[in-house]
Amino acid sequence: MLSKVLKRIAVSIPVLVGVVLVIFVMLRIVPGDPVTTMMGEHVNPAVIEKISREMGLDEPLYVQFFKYIANALRGDFGTSYRLNRNVTRIILDSFPNTVKLSLLAAVVAWLIGIVAGIIAAIRQNRLLDRLFMGCALMGVSMPVFMTALVLQYLFAFKLKWFPVSGFDSLRAMILPAIVLGWNSAGSIARMTRSNLVEIMQNDFIRTARAKGLREHGVIIGHALKNAMLPVVTMMALQISSMLSGAVLTESVFGVPGIGRLAVNAIETRDMPLLQGTVIFTTVLIILGNLVADLLYNVLDPRIREGA
Amino acid sequence: MVNDRKDLLAEHEALETGRESVFNMEYGDTAAQIGEADTWQDKLRTLVRQNKLAAFSAVLIILMILIAVFAPVVAPYDHLKQSLTERLSHPSMAHWLGTDELGRDVLSRIIFGARISLTIGLVPTLISMAIGTVLGLWAGFYGGKTDFVIMRLADVMLAFPSLLLAMVVMYTMGGGLVNIFIALSLVNWASTARIVRSQTLSLKEKEYVEAARSIGVKKWTIMFRHILPNCLPSLIVLFTLNIPSAILSEASLSFLGVGAQPPSASWGLMVVRGKKYLFSEPWLSIAPSVAIMIVVLAFNFLGDGLRDVLDPYLKEQ
Amino acid sequence: MKRSLSLVLATSLAVSMAVTGCGGSSNSGSTAGGETASGTQQAQEPAAGGSGTSVDTTGFLNSVQFADIQTADVQKTSKDYEVPMNIYDRLVEIRVDEAGNSSIEPSLAESWDVSDDGLEYTFHLREGVKFHNGNDFTAEDVLYTFNRMLTAQGTVNSEFIDQIKGASQLLEGSATELEGAEVIDDYTIKVTLKEPFAGFLACISAPGVSIYDSEATEAAGDQFGLDPSVTVGTGPFRFAEWSYNDQLVLVRNEDYWGGQPTLPGVVVHIVPDTETQTMMFENGELDIIDLDYVTDAIDRLQATYPDQIVQGNRMGITYLTMNQRIEPFQDVRVRKAFQMAIDRQTILDALYSGRGNVEHGIFPHGLIGFNENLPAIQYDPEGAKALLAEAGYGDGFTMELAADSSASDTVTMALEIIKDQLAEVGITAEIKNYDESTWLETRKSGELGSFLATWTADFNDPDNFIYTFFGNEEKTTLRSINYGDTEAMGRVASARAIVDDDERIAEYQALEEKIIQEDAAWVPMYSRAHLFAVSTRVQNFVPVWSGIGDKFFNGITLAE
Repeated sequence: MLSKVLKRIAVSIPVLVGVVLVIFVMLRIVPGDPVTTMMGEHVNPAVIEKISREMGLDEPLYVQFFKYIANALRGDFGTSYRLNRNVTRIILDSFPNTVKLSLLAAVVAWLIGIVAGIIAAIRQNRLLDRLFMGCALMGVSMPVFMTALVLQYLFAFKLKWFPVSGFDSLRAMILPAIVLGWNSAGSIARMTRSNLVEIMQNDFIRTARAKGLREHGVIIGHALKNAMLPVVTMMALQISSMLSGAVLTESVFGVPGIGRLAVNAIETRDMPLLQGTVIFTTVLIILGNLVADLLYNVLDPRIREGA
Repeated sequence: MVNDRKDLLAEHEALETGRESVFNMEYGDTAAQIGEADTWQDKLRTLVRQNKLAAFSAVLIILMILIAVFAPVVAPYDHLKQSLTERLSHPSMAHWLGTDELGRDVLSRIIFGARISLTIGLVPTLISMAIGTVLGLWAGFYGGKTDFVIMRLADVMLAFPSLLLAMVVMYTMGGGLVNIFIALSLVNWASTARIVRSQTLSLKEKEYVEAARSIGVKKWTIMFRHILPNCLPSLIVLFTLNIPSAILSEASLSFLGVGAQPPSASWGLMVVRGKKYLFSEPWLSIAPSVAIMIVVLAFNFLGDGLRDVLDPYLKEQ
Repeated sequence: MKRSLSLVLATSLAVSMAVTGCGGSSNSGSTAGGETASGTQQAQEPAAGGSGTSVDTTGFLNSVQFADIQTADVQKTSKDYEVPMNIYDRLVEIRVDEAGNSSIEPSLAESWDVSDDGLEYTFHLREGVKFHNGNDFTAEDVLYTFNRMLTAQGTVNSEFIDQIKGASQLLEGSATELEGAEVIDDYTIKVTLKEPFAGFLACISAPGVSIYDSEATEAAGDQFGLDPSVTVGTGPFRFAEWSYNDQLVLVRNEDYWGGQPTLPGVVVHIVPDTETQTMMFENGELDIIDLDYVTDAIDRLQATYPDQIVQGNRMGITYLTMNQRIEPFQDVRVRKAFQMAIDRQTILDALYSGRGNVEHGIFPHGLIGFNENLPAIQYDPEGAKALLAEAGYGDGFTMELAADSSASDTVTMALEIIKDQLAEVGITAEIKNYDESTWLETRKSGELGSFLATWTADFNDPDNFIYTFFGNEEKTTLRSINYGDTEAMGRVASARAIVDDDERIAEYQALEEKIIQEDAAWVPMYSRAHLFAVSTRVQNFVPVWSGIGDKFFNGITLAE
């Protein structure tokens, strides 16, 4: 078990380095001088040169890279061009909001996804199946910002159940969470459905049925338990898509989270901030997957026995 | 977009590896046993019989493609013709879906937009899957260092949230259609590579592959003649499900201001530009949104239907 | 199993700590900055950092911005003016009365004398003014402010004071002191210019020349403008709190020398989505929104809330350039044809519902020096075609309309309309999209195709317009206009030194006519009205004279 864990961690390290390298190189082939762009209209060439020097942009690329890695390992992602502040600080300030949003969204995704998945599985290939799968898939079928806007319009603007924007109370968090969660629900519903359909054909379910348990009892008691495992794994892999979705959701609802930072960084062409945000998020995803794998091992009896 | 391919990959892997752990980095252990008994005709018949919705979706998709191809014939107006006196006119007999902020016919723009949006769905998906298939075959068949390097590269690409990576690519290269193709291709090859690799791993142990090898058939011939065809069912499903997410990704990129550029209006861009009029002229954003939704749902239903028929684990009872 | 699991979790936690830097070894720079700073702060309670509000914001005005500011240090930004305008004061302010007459009003300078040769300005400063930290405002602070603008790292607004003698030397580093600024006593400072410049007072009224506290600013170091607790000024509001991407909080300065503001404070929300802003406004979550960004909702808002729309002038001109370095724009006939080919009124009507004025020169409506007798440029596609034929381009030509990807949708739409209108006279224009940095760099190198942009006054003087674009060869290259008449540009530069105002304005107007009507150097498009929507409780809101979106909050009252 331990060796497996260590092996898994060891495999993650080249991936981490790769992630940093890819982003680092990609952002450095951007056309145009970052300082010129940053300074905008009011420019003095002498000032530009001075700032470039101060930022270490005149050093060779590999030197910049190793310096960056060394600093990143100490948790220092450099200084934002625009905000003149430590990128790590900025990220850590925004991060809690993204975590809150994602966790709430995960709850929503589970609720919608699993309920729809179960009903669809029970009524496989019948009207209810299609209806519920359709509903669950709806969230993935519209551009997120439109879903957001429409829900915002209906529930915040017309019905006034929630504030239109902001993220300072639980009430304000509900709409963004629904938008983001609904978006992941389709996959979970699909997964739950296909797992359940498969498992219900298994012998032990047939046995349970034969013992005279009622259909719903069978499903909830036995099948669901077994069907949930792959879904758990998928949730971990969905951290990644959640964070992609957060970029859009946060922009529409004005959530001061990490996705907004990435958008800001792109709009203002703030390279260190963009770099830091992408690397931070990605590292988080890698760690999330690591933890999910470990959890999976703990949860799945067969693997536990095997290991 | 948010429904990025990692979901598909996750689903696929979770199904594929069955009750096996993803913890196990050797993905291919229990990989595909492709249903070899049924012919294509049988499968199609099963699909139509069992899943009317998927069949209907297929028809819808074909219809959309036809509309896109014959856009100049189908569209009632020139989609670029401005008429400032008629700007923002409400839906009427002359303009079924009204006109946009420059007085252009919205229906015509949606019809022409189908060309761009479907291209955005198809081209990057084809490119990324071609790359992914070749690399996956290569990694799976050769194993060893080749495998390690390719798969770690795939791990790196998969680790990024796809939208963020696409944003970075667009940031680097600037907006525009070609760059969207590149961005989406770059972002999405890795999941295909993984799936193909895992199937290759198991297929190469099959007798007929062993046999081909023993009589000295060239490696690349084995890969493309004997292994690839057996990966096709999974690839077809993946292809069907990848297209809609590419379309949605483009919409998201447009929303973030790094997507397609006017005046060539993709549906995504139409939604983004139309949403400013959501309160007064809602059709400007709702109509292209619905177009996107229909296509995305159609591809998803078709993909699910195909999977039910093609996937070895979900075969008929 | 259990043991190995906890080990696993511990390991992964350790990894995550190492990678994300939660360990606490990082951030030393910012923390240290904060500590130094809090040492210097005396009178006010420290503001909270991070999320959550420590200030009670009931009764505050709710304002909004699309993107968060980069800094409140106005020497380091050329666009985030709203916070600086309210937390600092300038030596003088510009006031425009209801008749549209503009005057320079005392602010931190109570009065000033100008020598007859127009070179020496002696400012008599207001006594008894205190910064938010309790420090006294003196002439040293003014000198410090000028010095810092010319010497500190990353400052941008130095052009507002580069007429002061010795300013360029200090900026370049060949001098260590600002030769033209002399502190006479605590409340008197004398400024000497390198040559007479009638626009000087207008220049130093710009938000970029806000006066800083020498002691606090120096102590705050690079945290000045970033950490609200150390960012102090003399203004009617103090910077109380800043939660990035969320909100900025300003609280009134009860000891303000101009009297305590009626408004207890302001919350500036950061909301990036335009539809969200509109909905928030209509739901009563916002008190003021800038309708510049929701041009498409203006008609609807105006119909729904007719009494809640505040209209301000905008001293800004939208212009379309023609690069004389690019074939065939070196031919004045082509340029004139180009001017005639564009129907500006139609564009103004279509995109802005006609709210604004079609312009014919360089100085827009409302600006000092605006010339209402300037010959109008008529929309005349037939005439344009004839001129093109005469120039040898009867079959038209192909050209580039350069769009900056960060431009608003409205600008993009305007380009699409222009493209259509040009097609009428046979000119094939292609809209090429550039990302912001390439756009800017190509423009600065003088190679950019035609582009549409708006210049809004920094200070109310024609100099701010004509000198910026046609002041010398460098300036005209910088905007890819490449105007060729060096003699005319020489006159623009020397006009700055004409002491007599009427004479100076007359010269500017003559030059304007020469450059635009005769030489057709650009297409003057229009100046647009600037509209705001305010909630029913907002009273006495006056948009800034220049029409920028940043607002002065002092003077606004909220009816309950």
